[in-house]
Amino acid sequence: MQLYPLKLVSVVGETVIMEEIAQRALGFGATGFSMIEISNGRGSRSARNVNLTGEAKTMKLEFVVSMEIAEKIVKYVSQEYFEDYACIAWLSDVQVMRGEQYAE
Amino acid sequence: MTPFSVELPGAFFPMLLAVAETSDSGQVARIIESLERNLLTPIPLCFVLGIICTRIHGGIKIPKELYLSITIFLLMSIGFIGGHELAHEYRLNGIGTVWKPALATLFLGCLTPIICYCVLRYVGRLSIANSAGIAAHYGSTSAVTYAVANSFVEHSHHPANSFLPTLVTILECPGIAVALVLGAWLSGKERAKKAVDTGVPARESRLGEALYEVITGQSIMLMAGLLVIGFIATTFLSESETKAFDPFYEFFNTKGMIFKGVLCIFLLEMGLVAGERLSDLVKVGPFLLAFGVLMPLANGFLAAYFGHMAGLNLGGCTVFAAIVASASYIAAPPAVRLTLPEANPTLSITAALAITFPFNIAFGIPIYYEMARWLGAT
Repeated sequence: MQLYPLKLVSVVGETVIMEEIAQRALGFGATGFSMIEISNGRGSRSARNVNLTGEAKTMKLEFVVSMEIAEKIVKYVSQEYFEDYACIAWLSDVQVMRGEQYAE
Repeated sequence: MTPFSVELPGAFFPMLLAVAETSDSGQVARIIESLERNLLTPIPLCFVLGIICTRIHGGIKIPKELYLSITIFLLMSIGFIGGHELAHEYRLNGIGTVWKPALATLFLGCLTPIICYCVLRYVGRLSIANSAGIAAHYGSTSAVTYAVANSFVEHSHHPANSFLPTLVTILECPGIAVALVLGAWLSGKERAKKAVDTGVPARESRLGEALYEVITGQSIMLMAGLLVIGFIATTFLSESETKAFDPFYEFFNTKGMIFKGVLCIFLLEMGLVAGERLSDLVKVGPFLLAFGVLMPLANGFLAAYFGHMAGLNLGGCTVFAAIVASASYIAAPPAVRLTLPEANPTLSITAALAITFPFNIAFGIPIYYEMARWLGAT
C-alpha cells in the first residue's frame, strides 16, 4: 500500500463566505472539497455570524491538495476574509491513499 | 382635522398630541382595548413564552429541521393564498384596486431604506456600512409580522384587503437592494481612497452576488412562486373542477387552524431567538434602542397614509403599515454580510429582532390600527 504525503487545508468560518472559498479553491487546482456544518462553537468574533434561523452559522471546509495549492488557498482566505469575517484556516500533513488522484 | 389636510411627516406628532390633549377617554380606551386584543392571544403569548424560556434557561428547544419546515410552510401559505385572492380580485375588478397599493409598496420599499440610512448616518452618526446595513434590514419586511398583523385585523372584524400578500412579496426585495447599492457605492469610494493611501488593492465588491442571493433566496422564491401557482390554480382549476382545488385551499388557508397553530410554534422559536439577543441590547446603545421603536412608528404612519390614499381598507392599512414598519432578519443579514462586511451584524440583527420585532408584535400592530383609523380608513 503506497501513501502519498499531501496537505489538508481546513477553513472554519461564516457560512456566507464558504461557497465562494470552495469555488476559488477549485479554481486554484483543488480537485474537490468537503463542507461540514458546525453545530456549536464560539470564537473571538463569532458574534459576527448572521445565519440565525435554522441553518448552521459556521461551516468547515476541507481540501486535500499539494503544498503549492494549499499555500494559494490559505493566502487567498487570509487576504480576502480575515479582516472582515470570523474565519480561521490551517494546514496539516496527511498521508493519502491513491494520492495520484490529487496530483496537479 | 382631516387626514388630507395634514402635511407629512409632521402628522404623526399632531396625532399623538391630539390624543393626549383631547384626553378623550374613549380614544384611550380604544387603544388599550386594541393592545389587549393583540397581546392576549396565543400567537404573541407564545413569543413571550419563548423569551421567558431563554431568560430562565428553560428547556424548550425547537428542532432545526422543524423550524425550517415551518418557515417553508408559512411562506408557501402566504404566497398561495395571496395568489388565490389576487386571482379573485383580478376577476372582479381587473387591476383597478391593486395597482395603486402595489405602486405605493414599491415607492415605500425604495423610500424607507433611504430615510433609515439618513437618520442612522446623520443623526446617529453611525458609519456608512453600519447605516446601510441596518437600513437594508428596515427597508425589507418580515412575513411573520404580516401573518400576526393579519390575524389581529381578522380578530378585530376588519379583515385586510385580500391581495395584501402580493404587497408583502413586492416589499421583500427593493429595500434591501436600494440600501445595499447605496452602502456599496459609498463604502466603495471610501475603500478606493484607502487603497490609494495604503497601496493595498481594495477588495472587490460582491454586490451583484448579494443581490442575486436576495432575489433567488428562499423567501422570494417561495412567496412569489406560490403566488403565481395560486393565481394560476384559482384561475384554471377552481373554475373547472371546484372540488379539486379545495384541499389545497384548506391546507394553505392563512385563516385556518393549521396556519395559526404553526404560527404559534414559529413565534415560540422567534421568542427563543429574540430572548438570546436581549443581552445584546446593552451593546447597541440608546440611539439604536430608540431607533428600533421610533423608526417603525414613522414608517408605519407613512405606510398607513399612503395605503389609505391608495384605497386600502382599515385592516389593509393596518397590515400594510405593519409590513412596512417591520424589518427583515432572514433575507437581509446574509446579503448585508456579503456586500458590507465592515457592518457589524450585532447592531442590525439586534435592532431588527430584539427591538423592532417584539415591539411590532406587542404594541406596534394595534398602534398602526389606531393610526389607520385616525387617518380615516374604514
